[in-house]
This record gives sequence, C-alpha cells and structure tokens, in this order.
Amino acid sequence: MMDSTLSTDTPAEGTQPSEPSSIPALVEMRGIWKHFPGVIANHGIDLDLRNGEVHALLGENGAGKSTLMNILSGMYQPDAGVIRINGEVVNFRSPAQAIAARIGMVHQHFRLVEMLTAAENIHLGWEETPLLVNPKILAKRTKELCNRYGLHVEPNAKIWQLSTGEQQRVEILRVLSRGALVLILDEPTSVLTPGEAEELFGVARALAASGRSVVIITHKLDEVLAVSDRVTVLRGGRIVASRLTKECNRHLLANLLIGQEFVSRLHRVERQPGKPVLEVHALNALSDRGLLALQDLDLTIREGEILGIAGVAGNGQSELAQVLNGLRPVIKGTILVDSVDLVHSSPTSFVKAGVGHIPENRTSMGLVGELSVTDNAILREYKRAPVARGLRIDSREASRFASALVERSSVSVPNMKTQVRHLSGGNQQRLLAGRETHVASRLLIAVHPTQGLDVGATEEVRRVLMEHRNNGSAILLISEDLDEILLISDRIAVMYNGRIAGEFDTVDSDRELIGLLMGGGSISKEGA
Amino acid sequence: MNVISGVICAAIASGTVIILAAIGELLAERSGVMNLGLEGVMALGALAAIATERVFPNPFVGLLAAITVGLLLGVVYATATVSFRASQVLCGLGLSFFGAGLSGRLGAPLSGWTAPVPFQSIRIPLLADLPLVGNALFNQPFLVYFAYFILPPVVTFMLYRTRHGMHLRAVGEDPAAADACGIPVNRLRFLYTCIGCALAATGGAYITLAFTPSWIEGITGGRGWIAIALVIFGAWRPLPLVLGALLFGSVISLGFVAQIQGWGIPSSFLAMLPYLSTILLMAIPIALRSKAVRNLSASPSALGVPYLREGE
Amino acid sequence: MITHTVIPSGRTWHFRRRVDVPIWIRIMIRLLAVILALVLVGIVLKLGGFAPLTLGRKALQQTLGTAYGLQQAVILATPLILTGLAVAVGMRMRLWNIGADGQLYLGAFAATAVALHVKGPAPVMLSLMFIAGAIGGMLWILIPALLRAYWNLNEIITTLLLNFVAVRLITYYAIGPWRDTTAAILSSTRRLPYELPMIGNSYLHIGIFIPIIVAVLLTLAIQNTRWGYEVRVIGGSRSVAEFAGIPVLRQILVVMLLSGALAGLSGIIEVAGTTHRLSGTLSNSYGYMGIVVAALANGSPFGVLVAGFLLAVLLNAGIVLQTSGLSVNAMVAINGVILIFAAVGEIAAQYHLVRKASDSPGEAGNQGQEHVEDEQV
Repeated sequence: MMDSTLSTDTPAEGTQPSEPSSIPALVEMRGIWKHFPGVIANHGIDLDLRNGEVHALLGENGAGKSTLMNILSGMYQPDAGVIRINGEVVNFRSPAQAIAARIGMVHQHFRLVEMLTAAENIHLGWEETPLLVNPKILAKRTKELCNRYGLHVEPNAKIWQLSTGEQQRVEILRVLSRGALVLILDEPTSVLTPGEAEELFGVARALAASGRSVVIITHKLDEVLAVSDRVTVLRGGRIVASRLTKECNRHLLANLLIGQEFVSRLHRVERQPGKPVLEVHALNALSDRGLLALQDLDLTIREGEILGIAGVAGNGQSELAQVLNGLRPVIKGTILVDSVDLVHSSPTSFVKAGVGHIPENRTSMGLVGELSVTDNAILREYKRAPVARGLRIDSREASRFASALVERSSVSVPNMKTQVRHLSGGNQQRLLAGRETHVASRLLIAVHPTQGLDVGATEEVRRVLMEHRNNGSAILLISEDLDEILLISDRIAVMYNGRIAGEFDTVDSDRELIGLLMGGGSISKEGA
Repeated sequence: MNVISGVICAAIASGTVIILAAIGELLAERSGVMNLGLEGVMALGALAAIATERVFPNPFVGLLAAITVGLLLGVVYATATVSFRASQVLCGLGLSFFGAGLSGRLGAPLSGWTAPVPFQSIRIPLLADLPLVGNALFNQPFLVYFAYFILPPVVTFMLYRTRHGMHLRAVGEDPAAADACGIPVNRLRFLYTCIGCALAATGGAYITLAFTPSWIEGITGGRGWIAIALVIFGAWRPLPLVLGALLFGSVISLGFVAQIQGWGIPSSFLAMLPYLSTILLMAIPIALRSKAVRNLSASPSALGVPYLREGE
Repeated sequence: MITHTVIPSGRTWHFRRRVDVPIWIRIMIRLLAVILALVLVGIVLKLGGFAPLTLGRKALQQTLGTAYGLQQAVILATPLILTGLAVAVGMRMRLWNIGADGQLYLGAFAATAVALHVKGPAPVMLSLMFIAGAIGGMLWILIPALLRAYWNLNEIITTLLLNFVAVRLITYYAIGPWRDTTAAILSSTRRLPYELPMIGNSYLHIGIFIPIIVAVLLTLAIQNTRWGYEVRVIGGSRSVAEFAGIPVLRQILVVMLLSGALAGLSGIIEVAGTTHRLSGTLSNSYGYMGIVVAALANGSPFGVLVAGFLLAVLLNAGIVLQTSGLSVNAMVAINGVILIFAAVGEIAAQYHLVRKASDSPGEAGNQGQEHVEDEQV
C-alpha cells in the first residue's frame, strides 16, 4: 500500500511573520494584486525581503509565486499594490528598470538567446559592455566574472551547446554581474542533479552571506529546509504563512502547502511483471542538431510494470520518447513491441501496436489549442471506424467518442466545442492522458506528465498511470522529478548521455547513487 | 573588350538598387520584422526622387525626398506591425499594393519623363584606369560606392563587432530574452524597420536618378521582391548578399547583351531570367547545407513574430 | 468552485485582452476596415479637388443600381472568389500563395493552348479546357510547393516571382505565335473558338456558378472529411500534426497544388467566359486582390463569397469612375489600405475597453467595479 497520510493538525494560518523584525526590509511588497483572464494570480499579497537572507517562496504549481516575482522583476505590472525598495516607492514598467534597481531574476525557463555565445548573453543589455566588442574581449571579461563569483562557464560556447546546468550558471552570472542585490531563482533545481543542486545551495548561501537577498521559488519541501532562512507559503494566490525556517518541519510545511488533509491514495497492486512488451536494443539516434542523442541504448519493460527514467533534461530523454513513437528516425538498433520490430514505423503504426504517448509539452505536441475539445479527442481515432466512415468523419460518432472520453477522464468542459486553449492546464492534461491511455493498451509513454499541474490534477494523473499499470499495461515514465519517479515506478533506470547508466528495482534504490549516476558518475565507483 | 566592360558596368549598376534595398531589409529582418512592402516603398521613393526634380533640379534634393518618403512609410508600417502587432505578411503586402498603386496613379503625368539632372559619375583616379573592372567599379555615381564599399562593411561591423549590433541580433533571435535583459525590443524593431524603408526608397531613387534615369509606371520591376529574396540567399549576412546582387546584376546585363547582340532569344524570355534566377539563388544555400541541418533555418528565430510581453 | 471577487484599481480606462473573440466582432471589424479605407480615400479625393460624395453616389448608382452594374459585379466576382478561395485554402495551413495571379495566367494559357490546337464538340472541349486550366495552375505552383515542403523555402517570394514570369510568357505567345493576325487586335490571341454559354439574355455566363459550387465543396471538405481534419490540425499546430503521424509534407503539397488549381480555374473561366482572348493583361490583379478577399474572409470559404462580391463591387466602381478621372491604379492602392486596416483591426478586435473606478481593496462600489470569476484550480 502506498498511502501517506499527513497530520490532521492545521496550525493557525496568518500572514504575520513569527518574529518581529528590527531590521527594515530591503524590499517591501504590500497589497499586490494581479489577475489574468479568468483567474486571479495574486490576492493582495504582502511580502518582505531582507538582506543577508535566503528566503524561500513555497507553493504548488499555480499558487502565484512566479507571478509575484515576475512583478518584482518588472516583467508584469500589478493591478494594485505598492513596492518599496529601501523605503522608496518604485514602479517598474519594464525589466530594465528592475535591473537598474538591482533586482535580478533567473527564470525557470532561461531567458538566454540560444544562437549567441555565453559571453555575449552575459553582456547583453549591460551598460558596462564596451561599445566595440569582439569574442576575445568578451571572453576575458567573462572569465573575470567567473572568478569573482565562483561560477564557471565556457565563454565562447553557444548556448544551445551547453548543458542545462551550465546554462543556468550563465544566467546567474548575467544577473549577478548587473550588481543584483536581490537575486530571485525560479525553481532552480528542476534542471540539476542532486549534486549540482547542493552546489547551487552553497552559492546561494554565500551570496546571502555577502549581504544580498536571495529568493528561491520552489515547490519542494526538502529544498526549503535545506537552504532557506525564512519561508513564505503561498496557496491559491494568497499568503498562507511566513516563518523562520528553523521553526518549521516537513509536516508543518506540507500542511501549509496543501491546506487540507491530503492523503495520497496511490494503490499499487503487487504483481509479477508479465512478458516483455517493449524491448529496445542498441538504439542509436540523432538529435535535432545532428549530434548523437541515443547511444546503443538498451531497455526492457514488462506488462504491469512502470519503468521510471531518471535523469537531468538533455541526456536523450526527449529523443527516446520520440523514437518510441515513430517521431524520430533511428540510425541503428531495434524496437520490439510485443516482439514486432517497429523501428522505422510511423506514429500510426505505433498506435496500432497499442502504444500511446503523453508528450512532454501538451500545448505544442499533444493538443491543438485552437481546435475544439471534440477535434482534439479524436486525434488518434479519426482514421478508423466508427469515427471515420470512408473518407468522411462521422460527426455524431466523433461527438459520442469525445463525450465518453471526457466523462471517463473527468475533464471539466463547459461545451465540447470549446477551444482547448481555454481549458485549464489540469483539464488539458486529463484530456490528453485520457486520450492516450485509451490507445495505449500495451505501452504508455508518459513524459513529464504532471509538469505545471496543481496537487489535485497531479494526484489524478498519477492515479491514472497506476490504474493502467494495475490493468497489465507497461508504462515508461520520464520525469525530471526524482521524487515522482521514486514514488510511482517499479523499476528505475538512470539516463546519462544517451545511455542507461544504471537500473534498479525501486525498493533497492539508493537516492544518492541515483544522483551520482544522473551526474555522469558510474556504478563501479566505490563509496559515495 | 568593350562588351565585357559594358556587361560588368551594367551588372554593378543593376546590383546597386538591390543592395540598397536588400541591406535595408536585412537590418529590419535582423530585428525580427519582415517587410514585404519593399516593392511599394521603392516605387514611391523612385517617384518622389524624380518628381522633386520638377521643382528642384538637383539629384541630392531628390534623394532627400525619397528618404523622407521612405521614413514616412516606414513609420506607418512599423506602427501597424510593431506597435499594434498586426500580421506582418498582410501589412507588408498591403504596403506594396499601396505603393505600387499610388506611385502609378501619381506618376502618370510624369510618364516617360527623364530626370533633367541625374547623378553624375564620380571618377576615382588611378583605380578607374584598371583594365576591365576599372570603368565599371570606379567610375560610377556615389550611390554605387555607397552600396558596394560603404554599406556592407559598415553593417557587418555593426552587427558583429559592436554592442548595439549584438543587441540587435538578440532581438531578432529571442525577443523575450532580450527584453528580460532590458533591451528595448520594440524600439529597435521600429527603428530598423524605418531604416530599412529609407534604404529601399534610396534604391528607388537610384533607379530614377541614375540608372535609367527616368520614370514610368512599374519601373521598379519587382526589384523590391528580389531584394527580399537575396536576404535569404545571403543568409542574413551583408557580404554574401552583395555577391548575390552581383550575380543577379550579371543576369540582367547578360539579358541586355543578348538583345543587343541579337542572339535570337525572344525578349520576353530574356525578361523572365531575373526572376527565375532569383528563385534559383534562393534555393542554393539550402541545397548546399548538409541534410541533417537542412531544416534548421538560418533566419533570425523570431522573424515575423510580433513581440508581446508575457502577461500583457 | 467559483467565487466573485472585486479587483481594486487606481486607474480609469484600460485596455484588456479578451479571452475569446466572438465571430460578430471579427466580421464587424473587417467591415469597418473597408469603410475606414473608403473614408480615407474620400478625404484624399477631397483634398485633390474631387467631390467624393458625388462620386460615391454615382458609383453606387451605376454598380448596384442598374442591372448591368450588378451583372458586371458578378462577372468580376467570379475570378476574385476563386483566387480568394485559392489563397484561403492555403491560409488554413499558414501557407501563403501570392502567385495566384500567375497561376491564373497559366490556367488560361493551358486552356487556350487546348482551345486553339484541338478540335472537338464544344462540351467536350470545354471540359478539357477546364482540366487543362486546373493543371496549368497546379504546374505553375509545383516548384514553389516542392521547395516549401521539402526545403522550407519561403513560398511568398517564390510564388510571387513566378507571377512576373507568367505575364511575360503569356505576352510572348499572345503577341507571337498565337497572335491575332487580323489587324484590329494587336496584343492578344485570336478569339477562342469555344466559349462558356451565356445565361439567357444577360451578360452572365454559366461560369459564375462555379465559384459558389467550389466554395460549398471546400467547406464540406474541410469540416467533414479526414483530409480536412488533417488540414485543420496542421494549420493549428504543425508539431501536433507530426506527433499524430499526419503526413505533413504530403498535405503541404496537396494544399498548395489545390490552391494553384483553383487559381488556374479562375484563369480558364476568365478566358473562356469573359474575355474570349488570351493576352498579357488578362488579369486585373485578380490574384493579388484574392489575397485581400481571403484576408477579409479570414479563411472561411463562405466569407470568401461575401468578401469577393464586396470587392468586385468596389472594383467595378473603380472602373466606372475611370471616366471621372480615377484610375485603376487607385484601386490597387485602396486594396492595400484595406489590407493594412484589416490586419490592424484583427488585433484591435482582441482588446476591449474596460472602466474601473474603485481605488482601494474591499470597497463595495456601485459603478465601474470589475467582477472576475476565478476558478480554484
């Protein structure tokens, strides 16, 4: 059984910090309101940021933390509210003004220009950049910055050539070099191995110690406890609590985070895995840029088994998912689904063989925003009966199929003709998951299936996966969230540099070892 | 000998129009804005230049008039596409229809009129005495020198060796990232769209004040479109673009030669050559790239996409 | 759970993005674009010493007020609707066919070639000419289509450049091998031996029904067939289409060839129904105006019928007013202005004006409060 019950005690909620401060805050945000079409992201939020402090903004996806920080960094304008820096009221109309006020934000999705080099990106939009530039000058200046802040990057490499960890360092360097006194990091560890995350925390603490104010936006409880001095919890666009971290523990934070008794009811049926559904052997494939993304990859998944692929983004996971769907050509190797080699087949053949795919990006790969719910629901069905009749599409059958799908997957839609882009992220993902599990009678490939979803939707998607597994299908789960993989998978494989670096049964797994393998270490090393 | 020299001379002159407009478009596209209205801008610039000579018989005044008209049209186009973020394709086509139609309408009374005071050729001593190329390259109106010897190196230098050029490249590749760094995305786009139009109008002025130098409806003959095509040929870099313009110019002058020499090819078919060869030129860079990266475009990644700050 | 909340604000008027743009607003905006363009023209005419209102009245009288005028409008609408459909079908997949003019010429060219060199009974010949016309248009867009599908080469420029080539090709034949040897006509072919039959005593030929039939067929195809579904998916998101295994390259070719064929059809109808001769001036920029038609119709075949007729009336008005000093060039310029206004209008339609008056939180106000429903996600 996999229940995890949390304490039923809900401590008093309030916005008062647990200790009156004597030092005036560097940044004071008061009464911040922000809304987007159909949703209020920030409801009258008050927040203080102090020098020399690492402040964690904790909240689930959709809680409004990124919005709040985007307002502080000048990307968005608040609908109401006041921001004071060092006691003076400021009104940022653009990121440039915030940067000038010494506020810097490192976004979750980096704002780096891919086609320019690391050095060029660091010097972008900076007054201190000389009027005349050339690679040598920029490289020299970049190296000076690297030495000053203890972060190392290759100046003349183009961004698309760097790993995500390296790209993050470029982004941080860029922000620091502008003299940022307030450094905001948005979900920084989502692209790092556990080891790199530790390094980052060290950098954060050092920066705080030097007098800056560091804000870490996160949804991970362990991170909050590991690095922050103070934590503010957001829920549904409102502040729920603001405490000193040393006064908190996991249970307390979890309760504040979710706000109600949350029981994870993922029910795993103990079973013996059946015969192999997917057998991949010596698979080689190229990335979009022509580099080898998969190198002699071997993989096997059996009926009734969830195999989780752990690994930092950029090690071939996307390419693996695409190859297993017929979306990317294979140079060498075989892909056997129920012993039939599908290696050069089209996506349609994979679907016919019972393979479904929840893609990593639901809006750009899985669903067409401007088409209706019905149109999106029949994406896998439109060529076969009963939805198709000869060359025509039977609209009544299509509606019937779509309605049944929507009902089965608990997708909440006002009207089947609504454009999918008007649905919430959670509903979109339910629709997508429902559609793909319907065709995935043998194998379901789920890539980052709970990314960007709130707690309720996340739980539901995981439940769907678990149910599918319990019914005898095989599931390949690719996720950047190691905790999710450890939670759901029967077996774990770590992917590094296009290969499987190690494979374990989950019960036998060692988090530290996995972290090591994710970063490129090898099992033959003795000791941690 | 004379024939070859004449061919080169005509090629260089033909190429000048294209280079002026194409480099203008290159700058606009580097900032992320595609201006399909170049043909219309060129036509109105050409008309403005020669019409001004009715009042002020001085080519430099005509040139100034053309540049002014170009800037004005640029402001209109940039307001629609950058400030209002309307579809660049539709607005560009609209601009080219407008320019073509208006210039035809307003230019009717001037039809066939020759510019009384065209641009004079400026002879560069010593260099002009070189065999073959001397006369063609170094005995031309100043706009030719500007187009071949000043504009391309200056733009290349600006793009790759200055901070401003780095910002411009960033805006065209990833405006969101540039914005996050504090670079004024829309301001740069507006500026370079206007500069692009001004240069296109200058190209038009060259036609009516130096190349032909007279006015008739349709005198631009599609050169605005060819300029856009050459930006693609040059992979958004000034130097290959000049090469493309020269190649294009050579095709045109070969056409002249064929007519004069009486090679027996009907004039209609000769007239097709420039357009067919432009299509060929556009296809060459893609054909030459390796199969693996063929589908990766060399264009600025944000080309044609209006920039709207997230959350607006 | 839906709750109503009041958003406080210190501002008054404010532009905000709509969530969804209702159809009636999109139609209004486009009508407004045309009207504004005409108003602008009116102002310019006034400045130029003309009397725009008198001219306008005269134009309306002679175009929509007489039977002859109406019929002329219908005749002009025929190629406009077909080229509009040609551009619209490409627009559905974000493909821009700017070469409709050239494809029109090649359609007329192919049909003329058949008419002048093959003999047979009229119905058979006319059918052959139609087929030739469609094929002619398709052949003319083939190379840009291949370059776009396989090499992702910008189809706007390639299709457009071929327009210039087409005119010169047709001119060569019209004043050359196929020219009319009777002294009266200098720059076109001789009269085609086969013509589309007229309707009764009117000026209309049966070709006017074809655009309507094609528009209906296209609507049915796009909404109800598997092919139409694939086109809509690709138009919505190419990456999703690839994800689903839809043959994107093949559809790009099919749609572009279809677009070329439709433009070619407009060519053969023009040459066999209206002008009866092929010349280098067969098209009054029909191909380019087709772009305006498609833009005004926002890609919907039914909208193309309406917009095509509207622009035909406008074009007719321009022709009628030529005697009063306006030139057809002005029509092209006006089309350009309409296009820009329509494009800007499309964006304007996405915003609406909102007034907020309250300026502190929690204040229950009377007017000007903004209520937003928020969904607990």
